[in-house]
Amino acid sequence: MEDLIEKLHEYEKRILVALKNVEKLSLNELSKKTGLKEGSLVKACGWARTKGIVDVLEEKEIFVKLSDEGLRYAENGLPEKNLIKRVEEGVTSINELKNSVENFEIALVWAKKNGWIEISEGKVSLTESGKNALSKTFELEKYLSSLKTSAKKVEDIPHDVLETLKKRKLVEFEKKTKFEVKITELGKKLVPLIEKDVGKVVTQLTPEIIKSQKWKGLKFQKYDVKLPVPKTYPGKRHFLQEVLEYIKRVWIEMGFKEMKGPLIEVSFWNFDALFQPQDHPARDLADTLYVKKPKKGKLPDDEIVEAVKQTHQNGWTTGSKGWGYEWDEEFSKKLVFRTHTTALSARTLAQLRKDVENGCFPAKYFAVGRVFRNETLDWKHLIEFHQTEGIVVDPNVNFKHLLGYLKTFFEKLGFKKIRFRPAYFPYTEMSVEPEVWHPEHKQWIELGGAGIFRPEVVKPLLGVDVPVLAWGLGLERPVMLAYNINDIRQLYWNDLKMLRESKIWLG
Amino acid sequence: MPVIKVNKQDFCKLVGKDLDWDVIEKKLPMLGVGWEGRSEEEFEVEVFPNRPDMLSVEGLARAFSSFIGVRKGLKHYDAKPSQLYIVSVDEKVSKVRPFIACTIAMNVEFTDDFIRSIMQVQEKLHVTHGRKRRKVAIGLHDFDKIKFPVYYTTKPKEFKFIPLGESKEMSLEEILQKHPKGVEYGWIVKDFEEYPILIDAKGMVLSMPPIINSIHTMLTESTRNVFFDMTGTDWKAVNEVLNILVTTFIDRGAEVFRVRIKYPDRFVETPDLSPKEMRVEYEYINRLLGLSLSKNEIHQLLGRMGYDAYDDGSYARVLVPCYRTDIMHPIDVVEDVAIAYGYDRFEPELPNLATIGQEDEFERFSTKLRNFMVGYGLQEVKTFILTSKKKLFEKMRMEEQDVVEAENPKTEEFNVVRNLLLPSLMEVLSRNVRRAYPQNIYEIGDVVLLDENSDTGTRIVRKACVALCHSKASFSEIKSLTESLLRNVGVKEFEFVETSKNFLIEGRGACVKVKDVELGFLGEVHPAVLEEWKIEMPVSVLEMDVNKLFEVAKQS
Repeated sequence: MEDLIEKLHEYEKRILVALKNVEKLSLNELSKKTGLKEGSLVKACGWARTKGIVDVLEEKEIFVKLSDEGLRYAENGLPEKNLIKRVEEGVTSINELKNSVENFEIALVWAKKNGWIEISEGKVSLTESGKNALSKTFELEKYLSSLKTSAKKVEDIPHDVLETLKKRKLVEFEKKTKFEVKITELGKKLVPLIEKDVGKVVTQLTPEIIKSQKWKGLKFQKYDVKLPVPKTYPGKRHFLQEVLEYIKRVWIEMGFKEMKGPLIEVSFWNFDALFQPQDHPARDLADTLYVKKPKKGKLPDDEIVEAVKQTHQNGWTTGSKGWGYEWDEEFSKKLVFRTHTTALSARTLAQLRKDVENGCFPAKYFAVGRVFRNETLDWKHLIEFHQTEGIVVDPNVNFKHLLGYLKTFFEKLGFKKIRFRPAYFPYTEMSVEPEVWHPEHKQWIELGGAGIFRPEVVKPLLGVDVPVLAWGLGLERPVMLAYNINDIRQLYWNDLKMLRESKIWLG
Repeated sequence: MPVIKVNKQDFCKLVGKDLDWDVIEKKLPMLGVGWEGRSEEEFEVEVFPNRPDMLSVEGLARAFSSFIGVRKGLKHYDAKPSQLYIVSVDEKVSKVRPFIACTIAMNVEFTDDFIRSIMQVQEKLHVTHGRKRRKVAIGLHDFDKIKFPVYYTTKPKEFKFIPLGESKEMSLEEILQKHPKGVEYGWIVKDFEEYPILIDAKGMVLSMPPIINSIHTMLTESTRNVFFDMTGTDWKAVNEVLNILVTTFIDRGAEVFRVRIKYPDRFVETPDLSPKEMRVEYEYINRLLGLSLSKNEIHQLLGRMGYDAYDDGSYARVLVPCYRTDIMHPIDVVEDVAIAYGYDRFEPELPNLATIGQEDEFERFSTKLRNFMVGYGLQEVKTFILTSKKKLFEKMRMEEQDVVEAENPKTEEFNVVRNLLLPSLMEVLSRNVRRAYPQNIYEIGDVVLLDENSDTGTRIVRKACVALCHSKASFSEIKSLTESLLRNVGVKEFEFVETSKNFLIEGRGACVKVKDVELGFLGEVHPAVLEEWKIEMPVSVLEMDVNKLFEVAKQS
């Protein structure tokens, strides 16, 4: 008992005292007696109930009240009744009735259904039962007028009347909860023990209590530490952005420099400089999103453009046969939403060109950026997503080193098992598709492409043929796996519930 | 990328060895095809665009047979010379569809497996190497129905013949309009005055390339001898496709004869099945792969990829089979050495290269800002930069402005690039009306503006946008946040100037300035805009140019 009293909240005590001699009170009455707001009372009654000191009687009741339409009927009478009254008054032609009876269509339907009228040659006449109806007051009318004054409980209206009211959309329903609090035997025993305490216990410690030192004469209310509390939502980073930044950090740790560039790219950098022939299917409207406004961009120095052109046509001095077609300079000016971050690598190689003599090797660059594909947005496809790109430029790098960089990168992302498959990309040779083993999903995951840039890519841009290790990896897939997301749209959906509750990136 | 279906039993017969599923499933991907799956009798693989020769079951089996060491080295293909068969090319085709290459295969034994394979490879070659028939189109005919010489010419639109799949004569124009193949491929020729026609000495039509063959030379169950025509816009591609097809027929036991093509200015005989020579330096191979293979080892590995190789001092003289259309540069041979060696046998290693990592300073500033925003209790969001004019202007009650527009979007919902970040945040709030409030969010993201001075005609601007959304969201709250943000990046002097924007409540919008630089705007969002977005909660916002903020922060 002592223990129980200790744990009683000030509000609970006030409730018990209020119920001292009355057994049972409604919420409203209780509020008046205790001076507490209804919301606080409901909460406090809940605590009190779990302690067994009060019983709470909650009863759901459904009330029927008139709709706007119903209210009009209640005031103006039923349309069908109005109709027969007008006929009785001598207005019989349909056209005239239409103008003088409100809700004429409804009136006509119901009057006919009730067998009150007959219609012939555009005239309405009353039947015998129609004449009788004139003087009667029907159940429906009675309830309409009584509902006008106050809402009624559902069970107080006869079933058939209620059905008609519902069907004619004359009423609406309202749920109300009846809330009554009753003191239990245990509660009654407590009352004398706590009566004197009420008002002498501190619930919320305030600056005023501290300053005035009032607390010295008061007891502190003990809290139930197990009670639920409102949720706290942190200010928080978006998980995808966190992953992107983590990936940047990984490359920086591995000694890479960041490259940046435009999202709207000239075809030249996105395709031509990467030795993708101009009729390559990847350049089709079906895959690549082109730009309508503005339409064309500018090409770089003539020297580079000419080298790229020659390389496409006949291999230039790269040792290649080339694609053997007529390269169209205008076509290469078309602007596209960049389809891969590899466009940045092409720009970077052209930038390095002037430093080749001054010993710019080894050069290691990375990018994390947005790319676009002409897709329809669905659970598997995004129109814009992210890639991470890397290049290593040095006369002494080889295929094993390419695999070494990829392996190290994926290990830092937490993938311990990795395998390499032959693949094909127009701008790399060797081309390789790295796959990582996902231990939870128990499957190999493809994560993009990698390779050594073809001499047809490197020499026109850089001026010399040096091995360039290169990769472009998709980032959405591993993020989806890490966050158990099945619908790729969720990454950009920004559902606040998900963002607030998702685990922070621990990488 | 194309996927082909292969019958296992037929495949093993062509490979020359009975193979367990395990071997096929594990080794095929290491040759450079994508494993797609299998049933009891069949499997499916994805063929990469550089190896159209593997689009046929015969070509795939041929490559696999040498790869696993059953039949190594260059396979010799031969087309017998013949003076009898001539195809005469009319000057008129030169502007329409200039090139044709032909051949004849005799004594063809059409098994079910072979028929399936031919249909499949024809379809896939049309799509890939043939660029949907525009670059190359394939026609196969019953040789015995044809009277040589054959003429490759053009005919006016009224010219008639019976196309495959029809019982009555149709004019060329009707074919383009009504025949399913005409509807599908008509775009390739529709702008020309006359259309290409292949017609024999008796005046019987063989085909209307690249649309449809005639019913007259249709292959039937009794066909034993086949005439091939490849027409197109690229001489090299036409011959490549021809060689890929012819070698599959030879693999199936057919005897192949050359055809003389009489162009107005020259004679050519097709097909040319002789191997091409390429010289590859041994040192180049080892240097790029990080291996130290002996000459003999390299020869052996090349044999596994269907080449013959001979020692020529520091170079290997490599004979490249006639169906390998992808070998353009010695590097392509190097890759095949790597594939034969096995990608799984390379030990990944890191080179000893000393470089210093470096983050872009503006990116670092953006990251700092993102982390700083979290201190205000804001939730970061991440949205698309593609949007629609409806979201960007209409729902913001803004006049339409010039923005970057996509030419061929698949949906209207994503056809322009945003020039303002705020609409993206409004969309996030709109989507979350059922989630708990307060909803205080931010994004630091890119918008794209038109810029004639840039080589891409555009310029990326990074924006920081904050939206505070709760029952007491107000101008003073967002102004307080703005001031705090500026002070914390070291900017001490700034001013707020009343500004009017259609999406802000009049008199409750301001722009924030540091000396003459306008950083952005802030204010309370107009209820009419909230209504557009179906948000029933006050929203106050800030949008700032991060590039400018970075500049003033550096100067402060």
